[in-house]
Amino acid sequence: MAEIQLRNVCKRWGGFVGVDDFDLRIADREFLVLLGPSGCGKTTTMRMIAGLEDPSDGEIWIGDRKVNQLEPKDRDVAMVFQSYALYPNLNVYENIRFPLKVRGVDPSTHDEKVRRASAMVELDEFLHRRPAELSGGQRQRVALARAIVREPNVFLMDEPLSNLDAKLRVSTRAQIKNLSHELKVTTIYVTHDQIEAMTLADRVVVMEKGVVQQVGSPTEIYDNPANTFVASFIGSPAMNLIEGEMAGGSFSAPRTRIEGLPAPSGKVTLGFRAEDARVVESGGQIEAPIYTLELLGDATMVTVRIGGALVSVRADKTFRAEIDDMVSIEVPPDHCHLFDGQTGQRIAA
Amino acid sequence: MTITTLDPSSSSAAARQMPSALTVISFLLVGLWLVIAAFPFLWTVWGSFKVQADFFSKADWTNALRGTNTIAETGSAFTLRGYEGAWVQEEFWRAALNSCIVVFFTVVISLTFGTLGGYALARSGKQYAFWLLMAALVFRAMPHITLVSGYLLPFFEWNVWGILPTTIIVLVAINQPFTLWMLHSFFLNIPKDMDESAMVDGCTRFQAFRHVIIPVMWPGVITTGLFSFLLAYNDFAVTSMLLSEKNETMIPAIASFLGTTQVEGNVMFAVAAVVSATAPLFVLIMFFQRQIVSGLTAGAVKG
Repeated sequence: MAEIQLRNVCKRWGGFVGVDDFDLRIADREFLVLLGPSGCGKTTTMRMIAGLEDPSDGEIWIGDRKVNQLEPKDRDVAMVFQSYALYPNLNVYENIRFPLKVRGVDPSTHDEKVRRASAMVELDEFLHRRPAELSGGQRQRVALARAIVREPNVFLMDEPLSNLDAKLRVSTRAQIKNLSHELKVTTIYVTHDQIEAMTLADRVVVMEKGVVQQVGSPTEIYDNPANTFVASFIGSPAMNLIEGEMAGGSFSAPRTRIEGLPAPSGKVTLGFRAEDARVVESGGQIEAPIYTLELLGDATMVTVRIGGALVSVRADKTFRAEIDDMVSIEVPPDHCHLFDGQTGQRIAA
Repeated sequence: MTITTLDPSSSSAAARQMPSALTVISFLLVGLWLVIAAFPFLWTVWGSFKVQADFFSKADWTNALRGTNTIAETGSAFTLRGYEGAWVQEEFWRAALNSCIVVFFTVVISLTFGTLGGYALARSGKQYAFWLLMAALVFRAMPHITLVSGYLLPFFEWNVWGILPTTIIVLVAINQPFTLWMLHSFFLNIPKDMDESAMVDGCTRFQAFRHVIIPVMWPGVITTGLFSFLLAYNDFAVTSMLLSEKNETMIPAIASFLGTTQVEGNVMFAVAAVVSATAPLFVLIMFFQRQIVSGLTAGAVKG
């Protein structure tokens, strides 16, 4: 049962700003994902919540306690590390039991708790193995079990899936989602993978260069990115962004002219998603030679070059053409996102 | 198809026979090297059971092999006179006991400071940690005798010369830079995540160190401890200058058996004492062999 509050939290190392003015209230039982490229400050934010890093400024509250001065062990959080950080000299059972032991939990309950936690992550058969004798996915699950065994107030997960291969990542992701549903504990999850963020999160915080870019549910962030950074980071493929001019409600860029847009004149960046546009016979707003064509199985990705930017459109899976063939693309104006040409901020429609 | 399946089997059979000549040669070479390397020690062991007239014979060196004078003097080709003289008559056991005390405390103290200090330096990340290590390296490079000559006068004045604790402190001072460096690099090989994970799991910094880091570090601690042991055990410069005669450790005691310009020594006592002092080292190295090897290679392989 814990709400987490970050009040104007900053982290600076000399002149370098790691996290700048992070202000957020994380509701009890919420699954929050911190998303961003490497070096954006997401892991630092999590480490400050864990107590492994001291904030240079601001306050951190867990429940009704200010925890700035508390040691990690007194914050009642559990953390899963990217490297798993299992204790190599202990077997799986003792690894999972370790938090109970150091916290002086009544020894008669240890066995039951360890077995319940290991059953949750399907590790029952491996309890007597050493970490060195386990595969990456199994080690990962030991780390998860070690975190849940103590039933902490807050879970912190630092890129727990990034050392797994692609297939295992998908199944472990599903397992984490299911676990968090079952345990109903406030969870903060750090990742650079926007698909993990989209699939797991109740709310996503997108960060770049230590600054929060947008906070919102996965749908909000996907449908209404606050700026060009979020737009280019979320979605696969990312949103198409074309730089051009607005004049009298019409957007123009090389080989592009889109009418009926409600925005003031000036330099803008126009964005739309690959699945919102269509390849048409003729009369589309973009007419350009095909730069590349990718068959995905369920669709065909058609990419053209507009100025310096690559623009992808999702076409029917039967669509076939040659590179350099002219193609016409229709972009519905109500699916277009407009961003300020200088600041990159969204222009309210 | 049949050719390709036959081919490897015949070639592997040949591969098994071919190097037999090579194997013999390499075994011979290793055997030869072993004899050359071990010869001084084996010769000393052999000689320690002879009398001085044989082992240091001026007439014919083969007396040492045949034991002519040993038979004439004692009636048998081997004698324990050297050992008896050293251990019983000259009370070499006192020196052995002193060595044990000096070695034990030197190893325990340098390992205690070394593990704590090495861990702190490995985890601090502060600039001065680097300079502390550099300073340690300078002290490591200094000849041992400088510490002795510099402190000899104060030790006399404070009336602490000649006793074991002073020697232990000086040996720790000489040894500490090395243990710091060695353990520091072992700690660097243990990922920081391990401490942090332990701390989130409920440990204080010190508990994390004791319950999580040290168990992983054992091979490193053992290896470093062994090197400290050897330094204290084999030291001559410090122990010979700083210890009074009754507090002497084994190495200066052996040296004094050889005699000085004033006192006639007994060389055979020295020979027997050398053998007595070396034998425990063999036992020790064989006992800790596994830890030493894994400790020495731990840096090369990721843990």
